[in-house]
Amino acid sequence: MLTEVATGVFRDLCTPEDVVAAETSGWSDRLWAALGSSGFPYVSVPEEAGGSGGDVADACALLAVAGRFAAPVPLAEAGLLGGWLLAAAGLELPVDGPLTASAGRPDDVVELSGGPGAWRLTARVHRVPWGGRSARVALLAPAGGRACVVSAPTAAARVTPGRNLAAEPRDALAWDDVPLADETVASAPAGVDDDALRLRGALGRAALISGALARVSELTLRYTGEREQFGRPIARFQAVQAHLVTIAEEAQLAGLAVEVAARNARPEPGFFDVASAKAVAGEAATVAARASHQAHGAIGMTKEYELGQLTRRLWSWRDEFGSERYWNRVLGRRLADAGADELWPRISTGLVNA
Amino acid sequence: MQFGATTLSPAEESLRAEVREFLAEQLPPDHRPALGFAGRHDPGFSRTLAARGWVGMALPPEYGGHGRSAVERFIVAEELLSAGAPIGAHFVADRQTGPALLHYGTEEQRRRFLPGIAAGEIYFSLGMSEPDSGSDLASVRTRATKVDGGWTVTGTKVWTSEAHRNHFFAVLCRTSPMEEGRKHAGLSQLIVDLQAPGVRISPIPFLDGSHHFNEVALEDVFVPDDMVLGEVGSGWRQVTSELAYERSGPDRWLSTFPVLRAFVREHAGPAVADDEATVIGRFAARFWAIRQLSLSVARALDAGEAPAVEAALVKEVGTRFEQDLVEALRVAAETEVDQGTGTLFQQLLAEAVLTSPKVTLQGGTTEILRSVAAKGLGS
Repeated sequence: MLTEVATGVFRDLCTPEDVVAAETSGWSDRLWAALGSSGFPYVSVPEEAGGSGGDVADACALLAVAGRFAAPVPLAEAGLLGGWLLAAAGLELPVDGPLTASAGRPDDVVELSGGPGAWRLTARVHRVPWGGRSARVALLAPAGGRACVVSAPTAAARVTPGRNLAAEPRDALAWDDVPLADETVASAPAGVDDDALRLRGALGRAALISGALARVSELTLRYTGEREQFGRPIARFQAVQAHLVTIAEEAQLAGLAVEVAARNARPEPGFFDVASAKAVAGEAATVAARASHQAHGAIGMTKEYELGQLTRRLWSWRDEFGSERYWNRVLGRRLADAGADELWPRISTGLVNA
Repeated sequence: MQFGATTLSPAEESLRAEVREFLAEQLPPDHRPALGFAGRHDPGFSRTLAARGWVGMALPPEYGGHGRSAVERFIVAEELLSAGAPIGAHFVADRQTGPALLHYGTEEQRRRFLPGIAAGEIYFSLGMSEPDSGSDLASVRTRATKVDGGWTVTGTKVWTSEAHRNHFFAVLCRTSPMEEGRKHAGLSQLIVDLQAPGVRISPIPFLDGSHHFNEVALEDVFVPDDMVLGEVGSGWRQVTSELAYERSGPDRWLSTFPVLRAFVREHAGPAVADDEATVIGRFAARFWAIRQLSLSVARALDAGEAPAVEAALVKEVGTRFEQDLVEALRVAAETEVDQGTGTLFQQLLAEAVLTSPKVTLQGGTTEILRSVAAKGLGS
């Protein structure tokens, strides 16, 4: 139901032409307004905190739809990341513009000083999705041995624009000793930390990837069924069929991995599930993007054609919130620590939350 | 095409726990795991397993089976395969011939064979490939000629796994001459006793030196009418649906898992190097994802669906994955291996390097599967 309504909104307001336009402007106002009026940005944020309710699985199902349409808006950042941080700490969600989140990258610096009545923020955060377009950036700040959640006002930041391969904004923001209102700072409860934020970020990217892969699979089937060479549709050639099968497999693997990881979140996504889902989705992005371009030929290399909107996102999203290699490595370390006898029981634990 | 995530019920989880407990008792900690369903032929193990009700599980109780679901069979199969249990004696009968007999066999055939299959006592081989018929299975030349009371069969089958140890094989043969443009017609399946007069079994040594494959020459072998499986002339339809059943199970992605476990055992702990950890993580993640694809096909079968395209995809991706794992472990281990020396990991790696090329050949090559799957994707 949620995904059907969302699909309708994206179909109307997020056509390939809209995506092309947004790559220049960095943003789609119309789409964001429509999503906002349906409450989509804050799916998975509790209603009592001002969100739209629902759980992580609902949010991921929605993100898969957004991924299909290459939606040029910070849907993952608003709900799964920023909305979660603010709601967990009891802070208000912004009403005057989009919320995004900073995910604690190694090159970030966040210093929160002072205290109630006199909070001050000095921070340099990097590659924040739609950072410059946002009203507020949710971030975690260490503050004297504990962590605080901060709803940092974008208007007070110096913004250095950046972008990913798909021209989605990934901006650097700097706050220099900026005063913060008391109602924008609160202690982070247990479990609300960089690791949990990273898991949510990775799961969100995996969900976007899974949706984009499903669309890549459809586009490639359609194109190879219509395009004729040597007197017949190229989908009849075995060499092309191999690409179609590879894309379908990778899309299905990523889709199922994301679905299981998201539905297993009770309420938080688990480490093994997310590490696996992001690693599988990242690898799937690489393999399927390559196969789909090969099957499409030169048309796929043009800026106007829909395929490239999807593959450029796949190439970006696979690296965001941890590449395949990152998740494979940290997952492998955990499994090696747990020992050989724990390996099969872990692999054979699939969907546990029906 | 749709794969849906599925969860195991408490009853299914407790079945898994029972199988794990059984395997912990049956397999000594230092046992050399078998790689895949054809890894080791051990009638004693098959009978012990059957005594627990885990052979012919999905067959109805009136034929000695246990009326269990495809998912329950999946759970038992994946536990056995991941542990490297020696299931080579009964596995083909359990996976393939048993269901075919149930679907196409006469009442008399069911009563004759199914209880023995479910008891882990009757073992079947497959009689499909021939010297000139591999992927183009409908081109088989083995010929059955109608005689009084039955058929006489003449021809040669190859790559017949374990024919020298098993009891019967289901032979795909031509029961009427090939007509131009209708090559799928006129084929039938006959159940042939591997000890019958006129059956000559000779080994085809396997790449690792083991005796697994055989050539089975049939020379005027008499097969009584009551050993025709299904209808005369329906062999093609029967065989292709049989291949669909066998395609998507855990035997299509778990055969090299014991090599990974041995690698983890020998490289476990905080000292694991980055590239070793990366290989462990990558393959564990993909095992987890592929398992769910495969499990979802079993669930769909239980729901009465016919997920043939999904099954072909699982085998295509699963068997290539089994091979990728072997190569990745080889690269990560940086070692020279041979059969029979070194650590357990090194020995399993040697065996896997030599034997795993078969996994993308048996039961439909990768190329054939792609063509089956691509047709389904387009529709």
